[in-house]
Amino acid sequence: MTRKYRKLNRREFIKRSAAAAAAVTAGVSVRPAFASKKKGVGARPGKKVIIIGIDGMDPGLSEIMMNTGRLPNLDKLRKQGGFRKLQTTSPPQSPVAWASFINGADPGSHGIFDFIHRNPEKQCAPFYAAAETLPGEGFLEVSDHRLQLDFWPFNHKPSKTVLRRKGVPLWDYLDAVGISSVFYDLPSNYPPSPSKYGNHLCLAGMGTPDLLGSYGTYQFFSENGPLGVKKEAGGRRSSVYFDNETSSPLLKLTGPVNSFLKTPRPSEIEFAVHRDKKARSAVIDIQGQKILLREKEWSDWIKLDFELDMPALIPNEHLSGICRFYLQEVSPTFRLYVSPINTDPSDPATRITEPDDFITDMSEELGLFYTTGFQEDHKALTNKVFSDAEFAVQAEYVLQERLNLLDYAVRHYDDGLLFFYFSSTDLQAHMFWWDSHEKHPTRSEADAKKYFSHLQKTYAKMDEVVGNMLSLYGKQATIIVMSDHGFANFRRQFNLNTWLRDNGYIQSQNATSVLKDINWARTRAYGLGINGLYLNLKGRERDGIVEPGEEREQLINDLITGLEAVRDVDGKQVIRKVHRTDKVFAGPETGLAPDLIVGYARGFRASWATCLGDMTKEVLLDNNSIWSADHCADFSEVPGVIFSNRPIKRTCPAIIDLAPTILNEFGLKIPPSMQGKNIFST
Amino acid sequence: MIWRVSIFGFKTFETNETQCNLTLYVKSSIGQDNLMGVIAKIMAWVNIPSNIFGKLLLAPVGVLQGWFSITIISAVAGVALLAVFKYISDQETRGKIWDSIHAHMLSLRLFKDSLSVTMRAEAQIFKGAFFLLVYSIIPLLVIIIPVTLLLAQMGQWYQVRPLNVGEQAIVIMKLNHHMGEPFPEVSLDAAPAAEVTAGPVRVLSKGEIYWKIRAIENGKDRLFFNIDNKKVEKALSVGDGFSRVSVERPGWNWTDILMYPLEKPFGADSMITSIAIDYPDRESKICGTNWWVFYFFIVSMIFAVTFMPVLKVR
Repeated sequence: MTRKYRKLNRREFIKRSAAAAAAVTAGVSVRPAFASKKKGVGARPGKKVIIIGIDGMDPGLSEIMMNTGRLPNLDKLRKQGGFRKLQTTSPPQSPVAWASFINGADPGSHGIFDFIHRNPEKQCAPFYAAAETLPGEGFLEVSDHRLQLDFWPFNHKPSKTVLRRKGVPLWDYLDAVGISSVFYDLPSNYPPSPSKYGNHLCLAGMGTPDLLGSYGTYQFFSENGPLGVKKEAGGRRSSVYFDNETSSPLLKLTGPVNSFLKTPRPSEIEFAVHRDKKARSAVIDIQGQKILLREKEWSDWIKLDFELDMPALIPNEHLSGICRFYLQEVSPTFRLYVSPINTDPSDPATRITEPDDFITDMSEELGLFYTTGFQEDHKALTNKVFSDAEFAVQAEYVLQERLNLLDYAVRHYDDGLLFFYFSSTDLQAHMFWWDSHEKHPTRSEADAKKYFSHLQKTYAKMDEVVGNMLSLYGKQATIIVMSDHGFANFRRQFNLNTWLRDNGYIQSQNATSVLKDINWARTRAYGLGINGLYLNLKGRERDGIVEPGEEREQLINDLITGLEAVRDVDGKQVIRKVHRTDKVFAGPETGLAPDLIVGYARGFRASWATCLGDMTKEVLLDNNSIWSADHCADFSEVPGVIFSNRPIKRTCPAIIDLAPTILNEFGLKIPPSMQGKNIFST
Repeated sequence: MIWRVSIFGFKTFETNETQCNLTLYVKSSIGQDNLMGVIAKIMAWVNIPSNIFGKLLLAPVGVLQGWFSITIISAVAGVALLAVFKYISDQETRGKIWDSIHAHMLSLRLFKDSLSVTMRAEAQIFKGAFFLLVYSIIPLLVIIIPVTLLLAQMGQWYQVRPLNVGEQAIVIMKLNHHMGEPFPEVSLDAAPAAEVTAGPVRVLSKGEIYWKIRAIENGKDRLFFNIDNKKVEKALSVGDGFSRVSVERPGWNWTDILMYPLEKPFGADSMITSIAIDYPDRESKICGTNWWVFYFFIVSMIFAVTFMPVLKVR
């Protein structure tokens, strides 16, 4: 069994000790006072099931590589009958697909339909779909501060972040019968859901924020930077000035926001950089730590102590964060990249594991490592802070860290369910995938081939991981290798709101964004998120105008017909299929679902502007971003993969089949909350 | 010649001619160097026997578990310092003060209904406590000397740990350098225990030169620097477990010489102010970086208080 982490608080300890002592005194035979729930009827103790989640692994590319002998271990599984395409969710977005993996049911069971949702009561106000920060209740104002004191007599309720994923996760069923499960980097589970009986461990993955509360904000300092601080998607840029080869004034590293202030503002750490042009090196002097870097060198993880100012007589709060420095260039233009400030795994300021001390236990053995959900800094590449080669190196560091974490996982695994997730294939594919002879959005043909080949090497590394797991556990465990979706080129972008405006569904000819200047009284439908299309339905949306019933039906039919008829200038179909969510989703959590899911054809995706409701002049545009591949198409266009060391009998397995399969492997029945079937049964 | 010394309630003790000669030397030296320089010289001398004693007495640290060795050292030090305190403090006077405090505490209990007696007793208790403090100052000032030397020696074992093989560390050379002067030509030779992976990196504004080294072999070694064709050296420790680690070869500064006693300090006229290696912290809440000092004081105090009745110390 993996280690039991169920910790008793003092009261629970006293209660159980007293009960046990009383029982012993009375001569009553009792099961051990601290034992977790006993094994369930039919459960198979000692059984091992290992799931390797390889985000974005594409079946087409996998087959090509298997056919040419470049994925020998996966090919071996294929030859044993253990390979199929894996049907993903609609929409095929990672948070949606992994949440469906967790629940063994479609998005109607967990209520996550996109990266972002909208609040109909606030007419289209967007928010993150997977987690939400609830405001606190009550506070005490002291000078410039607003304190929340959660003890008597104040009993304020501090703000907290809650997981929005609904439904019953598969590990709850295992936990209840005493089967241990451990998940590393699990997406769609931040903050991690608690374990009732202490048989479940989890390190939260995709969706876990950095200390700034974002999905990852790098900081970039350069001699040709902007005046002041320039914020950009996923990063901040600042200028560096040198006096006698020492940065002057001191540079400022932005940290977590001090929410104890009436007007919250970010904490900062000042640091100095001393450069030696001749040695092509620099020394970074931060909080008493000296970091010597040569040009093109990365630092190790550096611990930082962010001090949050408190009112007089109250000690200041301290939050520990970690970052890495990368000295890109010493001269002629000094450039220094600082990674997003990650939660320090040795002293976490936020809860990112279940139980809380799982992360510190890992850190005791592994040291410091990335803890944000998105570890490969794709934003730095998109914003041209990184070159392609620099991104590849950074992604390699991430993969190496995760391989070290996998070693840890294997060392601490005896039986039960082990799930391990790799993000490398997904985020590298977004940047490096290009499988056609058409012109790449930003790269020359040679570079496009070179970096697509780099992605294929990452596939080969995943194959080695599978090989190692097979040699370690192939005869004793059920091993499943799976991905949540595949990949496709992203060559052309479609602006859904512009199309709606041009076709009269948004009757505001000068409107530029559904979040800014739209006339809701003349708007019947709008797009938000990557695949979502919402009706402005009366009684549901604050300013809704579409009557439920016949008008709604007519509008849906018109939209489906119109969108599926859209053609690009070369005659290609842009949208493969538009899905009605009231027909395709079952389950109790469909309240925030879009009315329609727009399923794009390969090569197309929602435009960048569409995601947050913006409109462009033209409906169809070239994608000119380095983010040149995507999977937010129609689910039929981008299936994932599934490999196993057991023959897969189900001909069209789907991602929702995994959880039921796992439960069956442990001898448990498929619960009514799950819609999937066992892939090893016909 | 024997001198008798008695200062402010401090127990009378005898000293001899040798110690007086030292005092005379100190006085004459003040005429030549400044006071700090003299103290630095004294510290450098004191470090010689201190290092010998430290090496011999603390040698078991290298083979014992960290928590065990620091507990033993703290316990022995607590009891030994208590004994020293007994013989250098005026126990008779302290006893009288204690008796007086006890008497007034008793009167507090007996005459708690009388405001005037209570007030007087409280005033006497405060006065007694104050005098206890006053009579402790000089014994404590005397004790502080061996305690400081002991802590300096212990710091070489517990404050940091040696580099592990494969681990990197920064080496910092501080120069006696003035803005605008050209930097000297400096290089660092590779040593059997470590290779140089980066540097020299000159930090003009601070007069410092940096290198990065990587440990490649366990053992005690020396780093050799060439500075304007002169050779200087610095000790290096690579290995697991506990061993004496000299973080810094200090310059001519008495506090640095006190804190980093293991290596010969650079002279006042040296081009180099110090050479330090940024060794990794020792991770332990008992015998790790900075924590070991707290642990030492707590355990030594516990043992000292426990042995007060045994040694009849008041």
